[in-house]
Amino acid sequence: METTTSPVATRQARHLNQSLVLVGLIIVICVVTAIVNPRFLRVQNLINIFQQVSILGIVACGIGMLLIAGQIDISVGTQMSFMGVMLSMIIQKMMGLPDGNVPQWQAALAYPMAFVVTFAVGLAMGAINGLTVIYSRAASFIITLGFSTAYHGAALLLSGGASYMLFGKFELLGRGRVVGIIPISILFFLGMVAITFIVLRYFRYGRFLYAIGGNKKAAFVSGIATNRVTLIAYLVVGACNALAALILISRVGSALATTGDSYALDALASVIVGGVALSGGRGSALSIFLGVLLIGLITNALIIMNVNPYIRDLVIGLIIVAAVSVSELTGQQRS
Amino acid sequence: MTETNILEARGVTKKYPGVLALDAVDFDLRRGEVQALVGQNGAGKSTFVEIVAGSLRPDSGSIELDGRSFAFLDPSRSIELGIQTVHQENQLVDELTVAENIYLYALPRSAAGLLDYAGCFRRAGELLGGLGVDVNPRRKLVSLTFIERKLVSIAKAFSRQARILILDEPTASLDKKGKNILFDVIRKNTARGLSVIYISHNLGEIFEVCDRVTVFKDGKKVSTKAVRESNMNDVVREMIGRSSTSLYSRTRAAVAAGGKELQLVDYSRAGIVDHVSFRVRAGEIFGIGGLVGAGRTELARMIFGLDPKDSGRLVYEGRDLTPRSPEDAIRKGIGYLTEDRKGDGLVLGRPIFENVSYVRFAKGRSFLMNLGREKIETGDISRQLDIKTPSLTQLVVNLSGGNQQKVVLAKWLYAGAEVLIFDEPTVGVDVGAKAEIYRMMEVLAAQGKVVLMISSDNPELIAVCDRVAVMRNGRLVSVLEGSQITEENILRYSMGVDEKE
Repeated sequence: METTTSPVATRQARHLNQSLVLVGLIIVICVVTAIVNPRFLRVQNLINIFQQVSILGIVACGIGMLLIAGQIDISVGTQMSFMGVMLSMIIQKMMGLPDGNVPQWQAALAYPMAFVVTFAVGLAMGAINGLTVIYSRAASFIITLGFSTAYHGAALLLSGGASYMLFGKFELLGRGRVVGIIPISILFFLGMVAITFIVLRYFRYGRFLYAIGGNKKAAFVSGIATNRVTLIAYLVVGACNALAALILISRVGSALATTGDSYALDALASVIVGGVALSGGRGSALSIFLGVLLIGLITNALIIMNVNPYIRDLVIGLIIVAAVSVSELTGQQRS
Repeated sequence: MTETNILEARGVTKKYPGVLALDAVDFDLRRGEVQALVGQNGAGKSTFVEIVAGSLRPDSGSIELDGRSFAFLDPSRSIELGIQTVHQENQLVDELTVAENIYLYALPRSAAGLLDYAGCFRRAGELLGGLGVDVNPRRKLVSLTFIERKLVSIAKAFSRQARILILDEPTASLDKKGKNILFDVIRKNTARGLSVIYISHNLGEIFEVCDRVTVFKDGKKVSTKAVRESNMNDVVREMIGRSSTSLYSRTRAAVAAGGKELQLVDYSRAGIVDHVSFRVRAGEIFGIGGLVGAGRTELARMIFGLDPKDSGRLVYEGRDLTPRSPEDAIRKGIGYLTEDRKGDGLVLGRPIFENVSYVRFAKGRSFLMNLGREKIETGDISRQLDIKTPSLTQLVVNLSGGNQQKVVLAKWLYAGAEVLIFDEPTVGVDVGAKAEIYRMMEVLAAQGKVVLMISSDNPELIAVCDRVAVMRNGRLVSVLEGSQITEENILRYSMGVDEKE
């Protein structure tokens, strides 16, 4: 009963195959869309696509690493909404918007304050989610589903149902461009993907994420601090959400209690479509990147092709179902 | 078929790939007798009773019941013929009442088609009373003691007109009083014609409650004797047999006492491990034998900081080494190769080299991994252990059992432990890999490491270990040295042959 080479080769190739399939799919969508509407291929539109997915991409990097460790967080959307409301309120109040009748020092402190508070809240939410999942030993799906509703309620309470406008302030992060061409948010997105790549590939911590997601008991017996690694993964998710919330509010220019809600499902869809195993232990920065690109592309293509915009959620929902089914089926074959 | 026999099996054979689990077994069960079935792990007892219960089909042979001959039985026919098994594990539903549990397979219904609770309680009460079991049928299972649950299981078997009862280790986790109640029920009902096949490792009980004892070894029936004409020593000898071919042999190192020693002091957890203390000398291979369930793995997990304990300290060269967690144990130089390599030994979906370096990296403190060094060093270790694979990037799930076990071993060697506990290291491992694992243990011992091996494979303990401790019911009953290390001695202590109850 010695090892045979053929199934091994196919299994090792599968990760690469999945990425190739995604690249193929992306090209097909591009070609079809370009035929229907040649405007699609304009440089400006391509940059737009990247800009549109950059927020999603940042969230997906956090979620992707968490999923590799075998956990899930479906509260990311409402986390972002809450942070969005909070940081908009801070900027509005400290800058005395829309009149600006406040001391100069106070106005100058508005942005730093918004940054600090947003990241503090993001990390705190990550800690709450992570600690509860770890110590309750309940399924993270249910725990974060509960917190998702709670954060939604907190956002509603905080905002009182009102919209917080920023009157043209705080635009650089979401709308600014480097040398007038490349949006700043794209750089954050690509930077985050690069960090994810390095962490998963070269850091002990990244190795432990795979180990825990692959077999938590074996990781624990091997001396890996499974609780600590899991908690850090939730903190990273919280930090990614904070950054994403800052860029989102900057781009939209106002905050509602529901501004970020849709990101939870889109981010999950991206990483799952990209090939991160829902059961943990499998996936890479490349799979996260390609998954995000695909979801962004589908959204953009549907708009460019003038299809009823409501079809988007229908398509993405079905893609999630298909991707999970395929991923679980291949996973079962493996074991 | 003679009038006195209720069941006759003739030439029953069962093959598995590479193993002859049962080899032309003949077996008779008389009306009203309790017949014990004994043998070492893998002797074929379970396979045989599963064939009688209809959950396995034999490859050849026949089973005769009431003068009817069958090539095989299936579960429903076996139940129809009155064959019932009471398993070692509790198979009852906690949240239901005693009566509901008993009649779960066919709950009585009222005329309206609803459950007839009154009828169910009444029938269960009559059944329990008839068996001489004093348990209220309205109680929920959760509120019952071990012995009460066992008796309910037996009552459930009787509710389906059992004529042949298969009891698998029925006294596990029962105290003396519980055993007596159980034995009374057995005696009362065999007097009315019930026949019992009694599987147990406890020879004392067998000689107390059984009429005849049948010994299995390596898939063959060795003998059937009346207990009056046999004794425990004969039974143990027959279980071992004469053929004890050893695949591996080494000269015992006979490390003198007084050198470096690992002291285990008073390891205890209520009901599982009972105040175990011993010393292991650096440079020897120290075996721990005993039956499955004797508390050996539980002891190892406590030593490694995996499971909670009521008491227990680990002392090495005057330093306290007692770990708080596996992480702590590893930092203190303790390694543990678990018995369940797929469950908690390996991350099957990850490559070999990653699995080999988990412990090493868990021990480390730097943020970055030195991937170049990792590649070279994991390669060296894998070659040293002769892990057969075209590439270390292969997923562990694709390896054979022996090679998987070598990956687990490589993981601990790479981490560099001073104390290594091997828990059933050669289960499901091919002969070549076995020799490789033994050789590695020997190398480790020669380097002055402390090597412990838990094994249920007694010839393996004899071939590899310098000293062998035997555990029974959570207690350390003996430490065998030199010429005392024989299969017979290990078995006698494992089964409590010389103990007085």
